[in-house]
Amino acid sequence: MRLRTLTFTLIASVALGLGLTYASVTHLRGMDAVRSGPWTGWPHSGTTQIDPYARAAFARSGELPLVLADGLIFLAETDDTGKPLDGRCDIRISGILPQSRVWTLSLMDETGQLVANEAQRYGFTSNEVVYRPDGGIEMVLSPRAQPGNWLPSGAKAHLKVALRLYDAPFSFSSSSGEGSVLPRIVTERCP
Amino acid sequence: MTDLLAGFRHRRTLPRTTRPQPLKTVRRTFARVGAALPEQVLLPAAFILVLGLIVHLASILAMPVLAQKSAYQRLLEIAKVNQLTLLPDVTPAGMLLPMSDPAFVTAVCPYDLSARPLRVRVPATQDYTSVSFYTARGVPFYALNDHAAGRVIELDLLSPSQRAALPEDEEITAADRLVVESPAPKGIVLIRAYARYGDLRPQVRRQLEAAGCQPST
Repeated sequence: MRLRTLTFTLIASVALGLGLTYASVTHLRGMDAVRSGPWTGWPHSGTTQIDPYARAAFARSGELPLVLADGLIFLAETDDTGKPLDGRCDIRISGILPQSRVWTLSLMDETGQLVANEAQRYGFTSNEVVYRPDGGIEMVLSPRAQPGNWLPSGAKAHLKVALRLYDAPFSFSSSSGEGSVLPRIVTERCP
Repeated sequence: MTDLLAGFRHRRTLPRTTRPQPLKTVRRTFARVGAALPEQVLLPAAFILVLGLIVHLASILAMPVLAQKSAYQRLLEIAKVNQLTLLPDVTPAGMLLPMSDPAFVTAVCPYDLSARPLRVRVPATQDYTSVSFYTARGVPFYALNDHAAGRVIELDLLSPSQRAALPEDEEITAADRLVVESPAPKGIVLIRAYARYGDLRPQVRRQLEAAGCQPST
């Protein structure tokens, strides 16, 4: 009887511990998240101060995180209101980007793969996009062709948007992430 | 004195009889919880929580060592150690390294410094070019780009012991060659070049082919 309780306790604690680890490794990209609207960045994941949770997640996924001296990545999985990005809708990304030498914005499905399309357009770069007169950007993610900066979203149910700022002059301490420095994401029309 | 105590006692006993004491109700609830969850359940539950947390922290810390599909292991499947390899372009069908930027052309050089230091030479392309360094267990420790380095990025990668053995007044430090110290003997040099338009990719790829990494003599 005692032995059975002990065995159960041990099995349960191992299951709990590994379950927590699995959940954190699949859902976290580090503990130092900097949020700005729907965007999240992890500036310390690209330095030697990378935390154990980020290291575990990257070791499992096989990703090489962007080094902070190289650039900074921001991910968005929802729009400004917190609604998950639905590829069947028209989603507008607009605003003025922080200063950087090069930026790229690319579209992925929920597993992190690029969204297949005939035009082989997986994102925009700072050199390809057509800017607004005020220097801002305006792009539309949609399964249907759109005028202007159109990113085909392939009608995927869940989308992820990655914004990468290369050689950006700002230094991102975890406290200075607030404010509307990053573009807004608005879901406009759903079929 | 006894009168005073009696007075106190009198005053304290009065409210007890009229309304239930909060402490008593708390004790009663605890007794009820204890009855529902006897010691046989409470103790193992606390044990499971504490041990589970320890297992969780230990597995998180062990993950970089135990992972079977880390970036270093993935790259060794297609690239040779101490040799530059261009990665295939990322497509919707997949990418070797997750979360790669589709606008970049990428080359890698998995390194092993146990025998000799590594010499890395990357001619800058017409656009943004960067070289970043990671240990085999995935700690990013250094990066520089073409603006910081000039027309050709040239550097020596040394292990801590090789760095310590380096004479300070040697020509190697006098020349404008950069010396980078790797915290671990094994790791990855990641070379990335930006292609501003899709049709420039073949050209950028050719320029990256001219890059190299080899053990220095």
